[in-house]
Amino acid sequence: MTTATDPRPATGPATDPHPATGPVADETRVTTYQAAQGEALVEEMRRDASVFCMGQDLRMGGFFGGTRGMVEEFGHERVLDTSITEAFMVGCAAGAAMTGMRPVVQMGFADFSLIAGDEIFQKLGKWRHMHGGQFELPAVIVMPIGPSGGAGPEHSGSMEMLGMHFPGLKVVVPSDPWDAKALLKAAVRDPNPVLYYPSKQLDWIRGPVSTDPDEIIPLGQAAVRRRGTTATVITYGCMTRRALEAAEALAGEGVDLEVVDLRTLVPLDLDTVTASVLRTHRALIVHEAPRTAGPGAEIAAAVQERCFWHLDAPIMRLGAVDAPVPASRHLEQHCFPSVADITEAARRLARI
Amino acid sequence: MAPRKRRPTGVPADPGLLLGLFTTVARARALEDALAVHIRDHGFAGFWHPGKGQEGAVAGACAALRTDDYLFYQGRGATWPLAKGMGLQPIIGDLLGRVTGSTGGKGAGVPHWADPALGIMGEGATLGSVYPIAAGAALSAKMRGTDQVALADFGDGTSHRGTFHETLIQAASWKLPLVYFCENNGLAVSTRFEDVSPTPNVADRAGAYGIPGVVVDGQDAVEVHRVTAEAVERARAGEGPTLIEAKVTRVGGHWEGDAQQYRPDDFLKDYRDPLEILRAYLGDAHAETADKIVADAAAEVAEELLRAEAADLPDPEIITKDVFV
Ligand SMILES: Cc1ncc(C[n+]2csc(CCOP(=O)(O)OP(=O)(O)O)c2C)c(N)n1
Repeated sequence: MTTATDPRPATGPATDPHPATGPVADETRVTTYQAAQGEALVEEMRRDASVFCMGQDLRMGGFFGGTRGMVEEFGHERVLDTSITEAFMVGCAAGAAMTGMRPVVQMGFADFSLIAGDEIFQKLGKWRHMHGGQFELPAVIVMPIGPSGGAGPEHSGSMEMLGMHFPGLKVVVPSDPWDAKALLKAAVRDPNPVLYYPSKQLDWIRGPVSTDPDEIIPLGQAAVRRRGTTATVITYGCMTRRALEAAEALAGEGVDLEVVDLRTLVPLDLDTVTASVLRTHRALIVHEAPRTAGPGAEIAAAVQERCFWHLDAPIMRLGAVDAPVPASRHLEQHCFPSVADITEAARRLARI
Repeated sequence: MAPRKRRPTGVPADPGLLLGLFTTVARARALEDALAVHIRDHGFAGFWHPGKGQEGAVAGACAALRTDDYLFYQGRGATWPLAKGMGLQPIIGDLLGRVTGSTGGKGAGVPHWADPALGIMGEGATLGSVYPIAAGAALSAKMRGTDQVALADFGDGTSHRGTFHETLIQAASWKLPLVYFCENNGLAVSTRFEDVSPTPNVADRAGAYGIPGVVVDGQDAVEVHRVTAEAVERARAGEGPTLIEAKVTRVGGHWEGDAQQYRPDDFLKDYRDPLEILRAYLGDAHAETADKIVADAAAEVAEELLRAEAADLPDPEIITKDVFV
């Protein structure tokens, strides 16, 4: 989906959809992916007194910034620094959400979400259903995924597929600053629990964000980032940029990739995906999560169910290697699909 | 605290409260007894954890809460929702998995009764999950500027969960309006509390969090009411959480049908029935009223049980409802 003020080309000739500099429309300005999340939170807290945030070291700015200066504006009552109590943080958010508040929990790393696994997957995900629909749980849990520049295997997990697997949770993975802001705002306003997984690899990526405080991207709408005819690359999060770079690299070879950025994994916009695959007849899924039983497995199965007779080649998948991400920064980068990996896979796919 | 025979020493001031407690316990007891028979005759689709013997503690604690206070119970017996104001049909309906249940029969099995309008906020069946959730409700009350209190109910076994600690650390330092209410029946399934606890009481741990810890005779609903009312008052006044430990007796097995080989034959020799303790409090002057309350409760339960049996099972369509708003 392209919003009215979104200056990025979503279709048509391939240009850089993430301008780092240069003119942008009046309604936008350029900032980082991470700062865009902070802006979203601040604007939502201004808009709605029931929104508050909770996490570790938020007053200092949070693990990845974005909350710096918020105490001055909102006070300690709405910017809550917790101790190292992940299960408490999320359980507390569930209780606050079901009694009229809108908590946003900042979890430093997605890996820590497993400590709060019961609270995320069984309480946020199930409380409404198991009590006959009598509660709403508008909580957002922010859980950065992906390699962290040498922080090691317990700080580099990409586990967004858990959110897909457990019913009752929406799952967001934004691919650039514009989406990071507009999707987080949509998540805060959603009456359901939302797992928001920013990709750490994008933290310092700069791009336009909307200055309209009501600019949101409805959850469940994928975006066609580039039109193409040879094959569809289905991706999300940080791999969207790499897929677009791969598409540029291949453009001169007669391989013309279409790139679909899912933006949310739940709800999953299969209509946009299948419409694209029905045009290109080939599909490559790329993600930062490990390949085995990653989101690509589910998406591939769903696409072949819908598009089997229209496929000219098997659906292919690229994901992180099936190994813990080493602490070594040198080794870390070799765990994830690179632009070259995507280019090579797309080339092979085009030849089938 | 060693179990001891106890006769109430003085009739408390409020006969209305006494009659209320007696009525709640009598209805809960009637339900326990009728359900035991029903399960013996018809079975039960799920796990029923009988609460017989523990009704007094629950009734006493619940009577200290306002309707708009938040209750997160753990799920032994059905006294919590009953004491907080839920009708018998929504309770029994869920027990039998019928559409008349508070969750439309969806939350049956390990019953998940809920009614937000009555402050009945539900159960987490992964034990220990209600601590942070109750703290979240307490935090929310504080943020919204209401004077509501949240109560988290749990058993002695559940007092060993990590969430117990995580939540008290945070709730005590934030002075949240939270009451921790432990029903210590000395057992977690078959595991004896004294075998797994380094301290004789759960409440002994309160000092570590800088909050009051209170041990109370859980068979005596009046005493439980008194200490819970104090804790609720403290919480409302912004003074933070209290850890209450009611020493209770689990008359039945862990689940209905549990053979209980792990218990000595004479384990009930010192048992004191909470209903009889309340009856003694009421005294001869109310003997007739008390008998009528007991008879009415039995009749009402029998009737509601029949109604629930006759009610529909939910349409399988509801499985996919209520996932998202
Ligand atoms: C997290 C978790 N672990 C184990 C169980 C299985 N289980 C159900 S009831 C129970 C015993 C609970 O003991 P206690 O907290 O003392 O409460 P009581 O049953 O005595 O009322 C256990 C172990 C569970 N439901 N949740």
